[in-house]
Amino acid sequence: MNTTAHLWDYLPILIMAIVALGFVITVMALTHAVGPRRKNAVKDDPFECGIPVQGNARTPFSIKYFLVAILFVLFDVEVIFMYPWAVNFRELGVFGLWEMFAFMGLMIIGLVYIIRRGALKWE
Amino acid sequence: MELIPGVTTEHYLVLSLILFCLGIFGILYRRNAILMFMCVELMLNASNLALVAFSRMWGDTGGQVFVFFIMVVAAAEVAVGLAILMLLYRNMGTTQTDVLNKMKW
Amino acid sequence: MITEYLFWFLAFVSVFGGVATILSRNPVHSVLYLILTFFAIAGHYLLLNAQFLAAVHVIVYAGAIMVLFLYVIMMLNLNRLDAEKRTLIGKVTSAVSAGLLLLVMVGVARGGSEAGEAPAESIDAGLVENLGQVLYRDFLLPFEMASVLFLGAMVGAVFLSKKELNS
Repeated sequence: MNTTAHLWDYLPILIMAIVALGFVITVMALTHAVGPRRKNAVKDDPFECGIPVQGNARTPFSIKYFLVAILFVLFDVEVIFMYPWAVNFRELGVFGLWEMFAFMGLMIIGLVYIIRRGALKWE
Repeated sequence: MELIPGVTTEHYLVLSLILFCLGIFGILYRRNAILMFMCVELMLNASNLALVAFSRMWGDTGGQVFVFFIMVVAAAEVAVGLAILMLLYRNMGTTQTDVLNKMKW
Repeated sequence: MITEYLFWFLAFVSVFGGVATILSRNPVHSVLYLILTFFAIAGHYLLLNAQFLAAVHVIVYAGAIMVLFLYVIMMLNLNRLDAEKRTLIGKVTSAVSAGLLLLVMVGVARGGSEAGEAPAESIDAGLVENLGQVLYRDFLLPFEMASVLFLGAMVGAVFLSKKELNS
């Protein structure tokens, strides 16, 4: 199980990253070089459906999205805790299971609170 | 001590210190609470980098577990901190700290 | 040595991202530069053989925390900052104090360093198997405390946003 990790193990990932980045850069450079360029006030308008532009594109939105985002961050980090636990599941045995039960118990209390409070209600 | 060929612990320590002091500079320099908060994140990451370098230096996984817990604390801190900033903005209409000086002595 | 060049490149990117975060006038740009810094730091973690941490770092910081910051900046409509009133003396003071602190701490850090190589077993220290072993055996109490912290953060976030929810 104990495989020694070395830096050159990441060569495929590096190659993939270079290819992905290179593709994007080449295509963007190509479109800028080859494509026609017409710039005037009408072309640069955010909306081109005949109605005059009103206000800013970045208007404040509802706080409900924000609350969901916050709760996502918390549960995201919680799930990351489960990964090293799952890898070591056999070695940790029953003790590890109870450890995780205690951890998840408190998280579920939090989840119940969130639901009872109506924080996830979308009406 | 060479952590990876050609790079010593000192290199990583100095890099971590530079990032940490950049965070301090940002907190003193910016007047917006959100940006100051981002600088706090930068400082946390600087200390994380030093901890990982030490963990590599001693061959001790404990340092990386510390980093893991720091990330957890950062996530919890961001959740509550941004909710407070949000409330502050709703009540006061700004997050500029030079405007929010009611508790200034 | 390729790792040495990689280190210098990543160090440059992380410091550049940090400086740009602080000096950008547009807060959205600040967030994007900070994400760049975080990716560079994840690269450092990979160089230091902390693979699991590198993945977690990208997921938590770049994927979740900075998205939350972007949310807030867009929600508060901070397209451009209201002209920050910064006096010259304020700028100079902050730069000088941070610079002096850096000077002192670098001086301390450069003191006692030993020659030699990192122990060979430290190559495997960052593997998720070893990290799990340490995390769930030696760090049992902090692990359980983390769940209490999460509970507190959840209740706090919901409570602080509750007023808005009801209205």
